[in-house]
Amino acid sequence: MTPHIGDSYAERNARERAQALLDPGTFREVLGPFARLRSPYLAAQGVAAQSDDGVVVARGTLGGERACVLATDGRFLGGAIGEIGGAKIAASLELARRDAERGTPTRVVLAFDSGGIRLQEANLGLLAIAEICDAVVALRAHQPVVAVIAGRVGVYGGMSIVTALCNEVIVTEGARIGLNGPDVVETEAGADEFDASNRPLVWKATGGRRRFAQGHATALVADDMPDIRAAVEEAFARNRSFVAIAHPDFPDPALEREAFLRAYGVTP
Amino acid sequence: MRATNSKIVSAWDTRRIRKNHRLERAASYVRSGVFESGDAVAVLESILEPGDRVCVEGNNQKQADFLSRALASVDPERVRDLHLLISVLGRPEHIELFERGIASQVDFSFSGPQSLRLAQQVADGRVRIGAIHTYLELFARYFVDLTPDIALVAADEADASGNLYTGANTEETPTIVEATAFRNGVVIAQVNRIVDRVTRVDVPGDWVDLVVVADRPYEIEPLFTRDPEQIDDVQILMAMMVVRGIYERHRVRTLNHGIGFDTAAIELILPTYGERLGLRGEICTNWVLNPHPTLIPAIESGWVQSVHSFGGELGMERYVAARPDVFFTGRDGSLRSNRALSQNAGMYATDLFIGSTLQMDVDANSSTATLGRIAGFGGAPNLGSDPRGRRHPSQSWLEMTSEVPEIRRGRKIVVQLVQTFRESGVPTFVERLDAVELGRTAGFPITPVMIYGDDVTHVVTEEGIAYLYKARDVDERRAALAAIAGVTPVGLLADGTRTRELRRDGVVAFPEDLGVVRGEAKRSLLAARSMRDLVTWSGGLYEPPKRFRSW
Amino acid sequence: MIETLTFTYPASARVARRAHVGVVASGNCELLLEPSPEPCASVTVRTSVGGYATTWEAVLARFFARHSIAVRLEIDDFGATPAVVAMRLEQALEQAR
Repeated sequence: MTPHIGDSYAERNARERAQALLDPGTFREVLGPFARLRSPYLAAQGVAAQSDDGVVVARGTLGGERACVLATDGRFLGGAIGEIGGAKIAASLELARRDAERGTPTRVVLAFDSGGIRLQEANLGLLAIAEICDAVVALRAHQPVVAVIAGRVGVYGGMSIVTALCNEVIVTEGARIGLNGPDVVETEAGADEFDASNRPLVWKATGGRRRFAQGHATALVADDMPDIRAAVEEAFARNRSFVAIAHPDFPDPALEREAFLRAYGVTP
Repeated sequence: MRATNSKIVSAWDTRRIRKNHRLERAASYVRSGVFESGDAVAVLESILEPGDRVCVEGNNQKQADFLSRALASVDPERVRDLHLLISVLGRPEHIELFERGIASQVDFSFSGPQSLRLAQQVADGRVRIGAIHTYLELFARYFVDLTPDIALVAADEADASGNLYTGANTEETPTIVEATAFRNGVVIAQVNRIVDRVTRVDVPGDWVDLVVVADRPYEIEPLFTRDPEQIDDVQILMAMMVVRGIYERHRVRTLNHGIGFDTAAIELILPTYGERLGLRGEICTNWVLNPHPTLIPAIESGWVQSVHSFGGELGMERYVAARPDVFFTGRDGSLRSNRALSQNAGMYATDLFIGSTLQMDVDANSSTATLGRIAGFGGAPNLGSDPRGRRHPSQSWLEMTSEVPEIRRGRKIVVQLVQTFRESGVPTFVERLDAVELGRTAGFPITPVMIYGDDVTHVVTEEGIAYLYKARDVDERRAALAAIAGVTPVGLLADGTRTRELRRDGVVAFPEDLGVVRGEAKRSLLAARSMRDLVTWSGGLYEPPKRFRSW
Repeated sequence: MIETLTFTYPASARVARRAHVGVVASGNCELLLEPSPEPCASVTVRTSVGGYATTWEAVLARFFARHSIAVRLEIDDFGATPAVVAMRLEQALEQAR
């Protein structure tokens, strides 16, 4: 008896993930490898650069509607964001906002797998994340933004913040979402407090199942392409009656803090 | 005659008398055969005498770590110059025995994690190595000229009569105990717990002298688990070549796999690639193998008739217990492993051994030795050799002798599976093994070769297969090896015309000669691509250890 | 530092389209292969692991001896073994045909 082994999303690379998320045959890459937009900062630091700077910008349709998938390549420098990759994401979000303003909306899916900011490009990476956050918030005023976090890296650092800004976050149990990576937490707090080599502990604290239970993710699905695609469709369907807000409205900081603590099971 | 003898030998039971004295000296700590863990050091100090041969159970899986820690804590004024007998010098305190002068001589088989420190102790003159053995020959010597005076072993449970239950990891316990107990040595067992009735009797109580409940369960490592996520396309290409060019061609039914991602890849493409080739039931039916999790898909797909194991593997307990038709299990349901018998089975009853190595020379001699380390052998030299005492035939065994001479015999298939280069640009194929220099500088009487070239029948690289058994002479053998050695210094010597001839004659085969399509070498060919997939295949019975879980 | 190596091999056969394979991850490399109008294969290798020029030369010479294709090839390398490089070359050719 052959059991059902999922058509794994995690197994695919960033380009294949974008392809699999879009409607079959509609994938078209913008600023792909042959654009040769390599990071100019890495070579001087002895690090090999990649022709797409680790970010795939894919256009096509999703559920028949115009769509853009932004996927980061977790295998290249842990999917960390530098200046160019960051600009590819921020500019795509910006274009989607303009599309929305013109009344020709583009669905956006963030297929992130990223350790956060690329250390080699420090401040430029920080700036890029800030731009991406801005762009997500601006786009949210018009339409839902959907994140799929189902890769082997997960999202950490600045990219976990971007994820948290999304209306819908789809995770698998292998996914991880955390502000600080396990090793950083161990270094800061000590192995007694958090043992980064204890994988079940890491997943118990930051894994997809946990994040879904906490409400940080809106859907928990199996690592199986049909399930993930269905979850993306549902995420957009859930937000069909999405009410555009003229301006990003942040809740009262005090209320947000309370909601945050409640999510972590702490009585404010 | 008798009169003459009696003048020379005045007593015939000195070992028994000595054993009784040892136990009497420790008697104050012992109640009904059991002593407290806090008294372990005192008990060992009472029992041991300088120069004793002490066998500590410790192999690459199970370790009698409570007792070895106690041994390293004895007073070197009272206990010194012991002769340590141990399969694997794997724990830090094993080296402390030499540092503290408690032991000054060692006979062992493998020292992986402690190989650097061991080399240092030898250089400092604190320890003398008798010999570095294979598992099987070390066990054999326990019954001839290295019989232990004391054995320190580990088990899961003991009962009031001293019966031991070892769970899935029986491994070498019965062998060590047998050698010690039946020649009046003292057998001391650390157990995880004492029970009214042991789950199963793995070692009878009247072979065991003393029992102690350890401060924590014995150490055990999941050494044979390979995460499919880390198998790459090159390994899959090589696995495809092995299936087509060796297993299918020679109809290999009985076999042993070394441990590594390369062989895990083979296990994982049987239910996909092998199935497509219609080979189920034709190859890979009977195994001598630890319970590799990567074998689960092949077992579940009906490929595997039997598996006998050297030891257990953490996380595989429930799965193995649920597949008693395949694995050797006790009445209690759990795996019964036995290192000595499994090594013997692997040597005499399997047609094929396949494993990897770090270095190979032009004559296919291979070694994992690197300068400054004394790593040892383990089981590979036995499994990866042609047992000349074998007399039962099989198709694959007979196929290895190409001519039909008047006196017909067969030969074991010994396959070495290597990539031409290791990580960081180090060539696998070299003019001369590091082991030659290592052996010379360390003053070893023999060169620490893992598998001798003349035992190797096939070498597989990402470039192709060299069918060394078919080579007509040494020159052709070397040419065949060079033809698949890529751009290593050895491979660059290959001559294009010669290689074409060797391919024509079937002494060398490239993937295209075997009907192996390079483009098909993709991870999608793996029946399981993650630990989660293995759990799914097992119907939830396999429980991967923590370090392998991404959920 | 990144070491940059360039190689040229005479070539005649054409390929149909460009190809992109691989990834700049540890032990791996990325290849960009494009048809070239010149009667040669010109290769640029940028590698973070220096000191292996002769190995690169040997791997590439073998490949272009087998496949005389007029292409521009760029390789960005993060310590790929010759086995991985050879496989990536074959994959790129497969895509480009």
